[in-house]
Amino acid sequence: MGEAIVITSGKGGVGKTTTTANLGTALALQGKKVCLVDTDIGLRNLDVILGLENRIIYDLVDAIEGRCKIHQALVKDKRFDELLFLLPAAQTTDKTAVTPQQMKQLIGELKRDYDFVLIDCPAGIEQGYKNAVAGADKAIVVTTPEISAVRDADRIIGLLEQEEIEPPKLIINRIRPHLMNRGDTLDVNEITTHLSIDLVGIIPDDENVISSSNKGEPIVMEPTTQAALAYRNIVRRILGESVPLMTLEGESKGVFAKLKSLFSK
Amino acid sequence: MSTKQLVYIKGTKDGLVLRLDDQCAYSELIDELKRKVSEEGMEGQAEVQIQLGNRYCDEEQLKEILHIVQQSEHLKVSKIKSDVISVEESNRRVVESRSATYVGIVRSGQTIRAEGDLVVVGDVNPNAKVEAGGSIFVLGRLKGIAHAGSKGNREAVIAASWLEATHLLIADLMELMTNELAVLSETPEMECAYIHSNGHITIDRLQDLRLFRPNLSTFKGGS
Repeated sequence: MGEAIVITSGKGGVGKTTTTANLGTALALQGKKVCLVDTDIGLRNLDVILGLENRIIYDLVDAIEGRCKIHQALVKDKRFDELLFLLPAAQTTDKTAVTPQQMKQLIGELKRDYDFVLIDCPAGIEQGYKNAVAGADKAIVVTTPEISAVRDADRIIGLLEQEEIEPPKLIINRIRPHLMNRGDTLDVNEITTHLSIDLVGIIPDDENVISSSNKGEPIVMEPTTQAALAYRNIVRRILGESVPLMTLEGESKGVFAKLKSLFSK
Repeated sequence: MSTKQLVYIKGTKDGLVLRLDDQCAYSELIDELKRKVSEEGMEGQAEVQIQLGNRYCDEEQLKEILHIVQQSEHLKVSKIKSDVISVEESNRRVVESRSATYVGIVRSGQTIRAEGDLVVVGDVNPNAKVEAGGSIFVLGRLKGIAHAGSKGNREAVIAASWLEATHLLIADLMELMTNELAVLSETPEMECAYIHSNGHITIDRLQDLRLFRPNLSTFKGGS
């Protein structure tokens, strides 16, 4: 019996789908059997980021309404030998096509066959969010160092705390070290004390993420990039290893620079 | 007709006291009161306090008594005192005097309400709201909205380890923390908000709370 993790944020555009694709891919690289579920019915993206868009035959709504078996709707990622699967969202209907009860049953069935079921949650706190959270055992909240994203994360954590799931974990995405060091964005400490939940990883802002998403190859498959390393670290933490937080570029300073900043204060 | 007098008028140094018998029937009392009020040969105007003793009167009855006494141009009612209250009223007072404690973070979009005083152990985040019939005490950062004395108690205060609220409301007054009020306090640490005698919400050091709200302290004994 595997575990279902919902990846959510409240605010849109903070990187839920990218995070889902990369965590799933990284888990598969570690030899885990993973199923990714896109619950953003009507605005699906996860298939594009994984490069599986043109292999979709059936979708989540087809499976729930019984037009096909669940396994028929799953799209296999051929790059990973029988390890990574995607259950795509329907594009021609909307969030009300599915109920939380149906989602709970679906995720329950998937958990029997997979080590991890990662659920990509749509933005917002309405029906789509309720569907995504219904079947989850755990939750990961994605935010960026922007105040608006942190506010929405706070709201979503409040809602998650009312569900029967484990306390959510936090990922801070798209960190720009030079802005953070200058104090132009919230820093990691400020965000974690404000939200006061466990931090499971930080991910630097990396242009490679955009180009790899456009190519349909999740960034974790290019292990030389910082973002890939960050995602791999998060997966190791999810699997129970203790990995220290990575130091971001521009954060480490020489003795001379430290002295200089001391006097310039 | 009983010979017992049902309405006594007594003079004290605080003014007249109108003592109404609490054993007779209500209708008898009213008749007697009407007679008493109209017959007395009084001069000038006197403040009078009505004492009901152990009689319970509902709103309508109180209004009637008040109306009868006010009909005399010589009498002005300062207050009505009764030694009994209904169970309902008593329960309400118990609930209001009780303080509720919330342990945890009040997050964006959440509202915590208490009938009496409210103690929050944890932060109140932006866009979260805490509301109390009495005072609010936050052991943590108050960064959201706080409404003390929500049923009209202007004596209520809002105190916090870090008072960084966006909106402060006490009774029917509201203060946005965007104006000079916030600028006045250099550090938001250990502060409290209250309604100043000038009628505005004011922020002061928590240490001074005992000076301007001495009645907040209910502690008895100690050495």
